[in-house]
Amino acid sequence: MTDPVLSVDRVSKRFGRHQVLDEVSIGVRAGSIHALVGENGAGKSTLMNVIGGVVRPDSGTVTLDGRPVEFADPSAAIRAGIGTVHQEFSLFPNRSVAQNIFGRREPTGRLGFIRWRALRRQAQEMLAEIGVALDPLTPVGTLSVGAQQLVEIAKALSLRARVLILDEPTSALSEHEAQHLFGLLAGLKARGVAIVYISHRLSEVRQIADEITVLRDGRVARRTTGDASPDDLVGMMVGRHLSDMRPSRQAGPGNEVFAGEGLTRHGAFADVSFAVREREILGFAGLVGSGRTEVARAIFGADRLDAGRMSLDGRTLAIRSPRQAITSGIGYLTEDRKALGLFLPMTVRHNIVAASMPKLVSWAQLLRFCAIRAEADRYVRRLDIRPADDQAEALTLSGGNQQKVLLAKWLSVAPRVLIVDEPTRGVDVGAKAGIHRHLCELADAGVAIILISSDLPEVLALSDRVAVFRQGRLVTILDQAAATQETVMGHASA
Amino acid sequence: MSFQVSDESAVRKAAPATAPFGRTPARRPAGPGGRWRALVLSREAVLTLLILVVTTLLALAEPKFLNPSNLLSVGTGMIYDTPVAAGMTLVMILGGIDLSVGAVLGLTGVVIAMSLRSGVPVPFAVLLGFAAAAGAGALNGVLVARFAVAPFIVTLGTMSIARGAATVLTSGYFLSGLPAAYVEIGRGQLLGIPYPILVVLALLAVFGFLLKRWKPLHDAFYAGHNPAAASLSGIAVGRLVFAGFVTSSLLAALSAVFMTSRLAMGYARFGELAELRAIAASVLGGASFAGGSGSILGSALGVLLLAVILNGFVLLKFSVYWQGVVSGLILVVAIALDASRRRRFEAR
Amino acid sequence: MIGAREGGLVSISGRLRTPAARYQLGLAATVAVIAAIVAAVYPQFTDPANVEVLAMNFILEAFMALGMTAVIISGGIDLSVGAVLPFAAIVTGLMLSAGVPVPIAVGASLAASGAVGVLNAAMKSAFRVHPFIATLASMLSLKGVSLVITRGAPIAGFPPSFAFLGRGRICGLPFPLVLFAVLALAIGSVLAHHRYGQQVYLIGGNVRAARLSGVKVERVLMAVYVLSSSLAGLAGVIAASQYASASTGFGQNSELRVITAVAVGGASLNGGTGSIGGSVLGVLFLAIVYNAFAMSGVSTYWQDVASGVMVLAAVLLAQVAARESRARRAVGRGNQPTTEPA
Repeated sequence: MTDPVLSVDRVSKRFGRHQVLDEVSIGVRAGSIHALVGENGAGKSTLMNVIGGVVRPDSGTVTLDGRPVEFADPSAAIRAGIGTVHQEFSLFPNRSVAQNIFGRREPTGRLGFIRWRALRRQAQEMLAEIGVALDPLTPVGTLSVGAQQLVEIAKALSLRARVLILDEPTSALSEHEAQHLFGLLAGLKARGVAIVYISHRLSEVRQIADEITVLRDGRVARRTTGDASPDDLVGMMVGRHLSDMRPSRQAGPGNEVFAGEGLTRHGAFADVSFAVREREILGFAGLVGSGRTEVARAIFGADRLDAGRMSLDGRTLAIRSPRQAITSGIGYLTEDRKALGLFLPMTVRHNIVAASMPKLVSWAQLLRFCAIRAEADRYVRRLDIRPADDQAEALTLSGGNQQKVLLAKWLSVAPRVLIVDEPTRGVDVGAKAGIHRHLCELADAGVAIILISSDLPEVLALSDRVAVFRQGRLVTILDQAAATQETVMGHASA
Repeated sequence: MSFQVSDESAVRKAAPATAPFGRTPARRPAGPGGRWRALVLSREAVLTLLILVVTTLLALAEPKFLNPSNLLSVGTGMIYDTPVAAGMTLVMILGGIDLSVGAVLGLTGVVIAMSLRSGVPVPFAVLLGFAAAAGAGALNGVLVARFAVAPFIVTLGTMSIARGAATVLTSGYFLSGLPAAYVEIGRGQLLGIPYPILVVLALLAVFGFLLKRWKPLHDAFYAGHNPAAASLSGIAVGRLVFAGFVTSSLLAALSAVFMTSRLAMGYARFGELAELRAIAASVLGGASFAGGSGSILGSALGVLLLAVILNGFVLLKFSVYWQGVVSGLILVVAIALDASRRRRFEAR
Repeated sequence: MIGAREGGLVSISGRLRTPAARYQLGLAATVAVIAAIVAAVYPQFTDPANVEVLAMNFILEAFMALGMTAVIISGGIDLSVGAVLPFAAIVTGLMLSAGVPVPIAVGASLAASGAVGVLNAAMKSAFRVHPFIATLASMLSLKGVSLVITRGAPIAGFPPSFAFLGRGRICGLPFPLVLFAVLALAIGSVLAHHRYGQQVYLIGGNVRAARLSGVKVERVLMAVYVLSSSLAGLAGVIAASQYASASTGFGQNSELRVITAVAVGGASLNGGTGSIGGSVLGVLFLAIVYNAFAMSGVSTYWQDVASGVMVLAAVLLAQVAARESRARRAVGRGNQPTTEPA
């Protein structure tokens, strides 16, 4: 067994009163893929930031090639040979691929003036090394997300990284692009690069990792190899074995509530037709970019529909704005709660009533403070939002609780149809189960739910039927019995 | 150095609300946004305290300060600045800024004066003035709300157009000879109090009340903090932003009516630097350049504080040339305050 | 065959792939067309004497545009230039009338102007505030300072040796014009072709990523704001030399004209794009329009209205164009690169 090229020894880090890392030690060997898994809040990102020089540990050491290192800033880590590919890309959309790969290290003449031809050539070589045929002069802003990520990786490689850290690399990739990435990583492994792979996706981790470290609450819970079973892994992550993920449902679906016919929006989706019934959860499955969120936004009036009809209870809907959608009885719990769903500096109370305010005002549109307070309290208790203080600012809450506040906002609106988009993204396993339960309760209470999620097990567990999207088209709608991972993936990627 | 750290560090126990100046509110105020209100309330209290301190010092240093005629001149300065500050506060809550209000004030005054001198009846002249202001505000509103152009450059452009138009119309001259009926608007009194003061007080009360309790205006806070989320929550952000800019310009027009009627003349340069005083007053009163916060009462107190300081300058015979420097420095202080408040907020 | 160089004023067919290059070409064509129309209506437009007047009328704004371009590319704005100009003129005037030798007086003015840039950058990062607010505050303070120093009265009493800067000639051309050409070429090539200059684009494109790449953001921004205010100071010195006096009225509203020129020249106010070449075209565009105004006898008071309209039109068009290209990109999402091994 060779010595690890990168090792972290008893690193601890505290932010305020929160001990984020507690004596964490890991070792990463050259030419291997070491996966880091754990719930949100377990400390993965902080550990990555410590290694990458973004954050300094309170105690403990980071050792590279047997020598302890201390990074004053991220560029020091980069110079030492540690390359990081973050979840949010660090690319310059206004610059070309070649300029992005080389950042500040463009080939220059004596006085510092850039040699453009050399730049283009070197970029082309870099891209060829990882098997990508991209024109190095393309402005990065015009590339797809998958292509942008490849540029990020090329960038890290151009730094001659010996340690490559990847943070949730496949979260925005199609299945096809993800497999290509794995091939690339295998190639890098063969070249002796030590790879740290941070991911929520246990199936991927099992596929490619040589070693797995499970973090829980800032401590190393278990170290294991890539052969561990998913249930075992989840168990290690939460410290308990997860009971069956499928919550029980009371009643079957009722009458048709919402129907969309021939829905089209140029460049996003075409000819989408489906119907959803009372007490039913209709799952929208598909690869990233298949158009599900675009359909949701169009139904909700946030984007314009170029063609198609929508009806609620048989009556044709003319929705041209979110406000009209809400008045008609449609709600939309957006993905990306921080950017699109919550008002972070405002209180939980303000957030919960943000969309349901019209029913909490008097005839002259004056706010009824008592009603507002009661409404907010009601949902804080019902959804067990912590801290149970509706005057807390939303940004102080954890991811799971923030998501609950967002859910409360839409429960308060009491829609007939609720579209939820990635309801458990960035939420730890415990809170996730809670949200699933609330969604099922909501359905049982008569609401028709459209569930958009990239987490296929989640979709399969909750949905009564699954609508599969591919490249902007609704390919098929599968019944619960017919919906398995294989059939869904098959339709989604054929 | 502060680094952007992920969700993990955001897990905190609830901390007791601390006001920015280190005092904990004794009792949590009722109503939504209680903690928010606690912050703002204490700011207004501090402003009042500052005003009292400054006036006391001034009165001691120069007893003439307390002369009724001097106090009246401080009051009349406030007449012109308060409506503009109120409008600026609304725009800042929405996350924008309106650099054109001073120019719009000048243009409105010029339009009214020219109409009056051409024999147009007073009500119609005033209407024309407000129409011109509304036009400027609409231009601002459309470019910002519909075309998403940055407010500072839009209002910079409108400011240039409005001021230029006013200068073109007057060729730089003062326009006098305004009918008595019009002058009465600014100089008339009810029970010894000039009409404009009554109007301004009413404006403050109504506007402040509506901002806190009337849904359409209250929505501005949501729109200012996060326009995308506000839109997806059913708030018509675009319409709100448009209305905000039009309101700001109309309030500047109101100020113009007061100024031109009291001074009985129209002049293209009226309102010069008014926008900067309005910004300083708004920020002193709790508005932030990031949007989402602001208080009408706070801005009014800010105007009062500024008026007292500037009055002090005149009384203590500081050179009038220092006013510009002081205004600039006050703006710097206001910016610094806003920055430290935001930092304290983010650090929590 | 792709052209040899990517950046700079030379655009060859392969380079036209970037929207920025296409815009510059379009702008150059527009300027040529407008010049032709004006020349047709007013034959005296093409008189060498008139051309010189046209160029010199805008020479001050041209200098300032060089620095403003860099500031806007970095994602910021500098509203204080209109106040730095008279300030520098006044400082120069005071020193010269006190008998200080010309080179030292000029040097001190430039240093003082640069100091304003340092203050601007410092305020922006210390208060974490948008540069327009920081520079607005310094503009206001500086205007006040200038008033205090001069008590509103213009300064005179300049030595004759000082006149060369503003009114001298080299090879038959006005000295300021030659100086401008030299500076434009130097600054233009550094911005477009030098590794250090490119960092300004990186900061304007994605400041977070720039920081992670090791760009010393604060230092680069400081340099950019110092450049902007130093150039404004230079403009002030030249103005003082041209008019043999210094007053607070110099450079009135010039900041708007400069911003308009740079915006018309293709720089986005959001940062990340722009070029010296484009800004020079923008200045030329404004100069021609104003010259046409003057020749048609329109009152100078209309200039401010025209500036305002032009800047609004420029930023509006930029927004509309950006929207269209974004929409086009969304439609063409199918254009993904192949990921099979090459």
